[in-house]
Amino acid sequence: MALITENTRKEVTDIVYNFFADECEVDIKDIHSDTNIINDIDGDSLMFLELIEIFKKKYNLDIELKTIGKYSVKHPVQTIGQLIDMQLLIIEHENKLLEFDQ
Amino acid sequence: MPEKVVVTGMNIISSLGLDLQTNWNNLVAGKSGVKKISLFDASRNITRIAAEVPSEFEEFSRKYIKKRAGSQMTRVTKMCVACAKEAVEKSGIDFEQMDKTRCSVILGVVNTGNSSTEKETTHQNRIFKSMTNSMSAWISLDYQLMGPNFVVNTACASSAYAISLGYEMIRNNQADLVIVGGADSIVNFEEIEGFNSLYAISVENNPPEKASKPFSKNRDGFVIGEGAGILILESEASAKKRNAVIYAEIAGYAITSEGYNIMAPMKDGEGMALTMEKALQNAGIYKEEVDYINAHGTSTELNDRYETMAIKRVFGDRAYKIPVSSSKSMIGHTIGAAGAIEGIITILSILNGIITPTINLDLPDPDLDLDYVPNQSREKEVNIALSNSFGFGGHNATLVFRKYS
Repeated sequence: MALITENTRKEVTDIVYNFFADECEVDIKDIHSDTNIINDIDGDSLMFLELIEIFKKKYNLDIELKTIGKYSVKHPVQTIGQLIDMQLLIIEHENKLLEFDQ
Repeated sequence: MPEKVVVTGMNIISSLGLDLQTNWNNLVAGKSGVKKISLFDASRNITRIAAEVPSEFEEFSRKYIKKRAGSQMTRVTKMCVACAKEAVEKSGIDFEQMDKTRCSVILGVVNTGNSSTEKETTHQNRIFKSMTNSMSAWISLDYQLMGPNFVVNTACASSAYAISLGYEMIRNNQADLVIVGGADSIVNFEEIEGFNSLYAISVENNPPEKASKPFSKNRDGFVIGEGAGILILESEASAKKRNAVIYAEIAGYAITSEGYNIMAPMKDGEGMALTMEKALQNAGIYKEEVDYINAHGTSTELNDRYETMAIKRVFGDRAYKIPVSSSKSMIGHTIGAAGAIEGIITILSILNGIITPTINLDLPDPDLDLDYVPNQSREKEVNIALSNSFGFGGHNATLVFRKYS
């Protein structure tokens, strides 16, 4: 359980924006909170998993993929903003993500 | 009346070039693409040569494949996708104007080349890189085609089978357009070691460009090649509707099994002869009409002997009057891609009235006495031509191409 500060939010946002700009070969200026990952920048669902791996390493997170899977069934991610919010929740709650959701 | 099947697009990536015209120019010039292996350190292999696709390919592929998708493809998959996209682009197809449920992709794929040579394979992309169906899937995804996409593996005859199946789909009115072909590379330590242990590939490393010598007395096995070949098959009605350039007609084909041996061809070329006979019957072509045969011509002892015997068995005395040449003398054996690449070369021979040579035929085998178009290309009007592909496991295919009029 980590405290999400403004710094954390900025760090996560920067990583996500840079990741999508690089992988999807789009200008970072064209990525916004409401950018649709699949329709607008030709992203794919695997990118979400790759980002989780990046954040797991960066923040030394204790989170199982099945926990994230169960959470995302109820809270599907479509936009960059939604993805950042979910990553922050994962960092904050780790394996207790589902308890938070109840 | 079944639909006439025509070829409205084609492209080759091989050791002789990254586009169709460069390949053709080099083939007509009788150049060899065989060089010392550069993709990995082959110093521990007995065979240290191959016909590798030029190193500029990686940069070339970026024109057609985005970074994200590219990271999920092997080099061979990229060859296939880039080859297909250029073929589609040059044939002027606008899929938005077509019924995408009647557009398909069928490829001959033996493996994706996700071997020890492949770079940047991670646990996240390993599955995608290894999926043999990924080649047809990526092409289908790129154009959002909704007809079936699948691959067929019949070893060295794979992409000839793919062409045959695509032909059938159009002929039977199940599709308007089918992207067919294949891609392959087995330039890696383990497969070269495996083929060396079967005594199937040439061990003449010096000079590399002389190693592939089909039909010659001193032939000592095939030379591994790599590349991709893609054809756009279309119903004549569909091609005419969009005013497409028509390069040739597929007149017919045959695919057969030998039921004989996992590696060796059936004795005296019986299976090969049966395949050519059936292809001519399927196409409704008289033997007297055949102007050229693009041979499987691997440069192995048995294939070249038996293919020669098979041609004599089918055509009798006329066999001596039909030019027979092997593209593998120049681009090596591209395995799963061979049927498509050599089919395209056959079409180019029809279009240009030029037969590409069998190079390195300096020491003729007295037992092999057909006209193998030795060492230099030849001008000749070609109206009907065959392209043979015979694979390990007894998978045989003969395609019949006809000048379109």
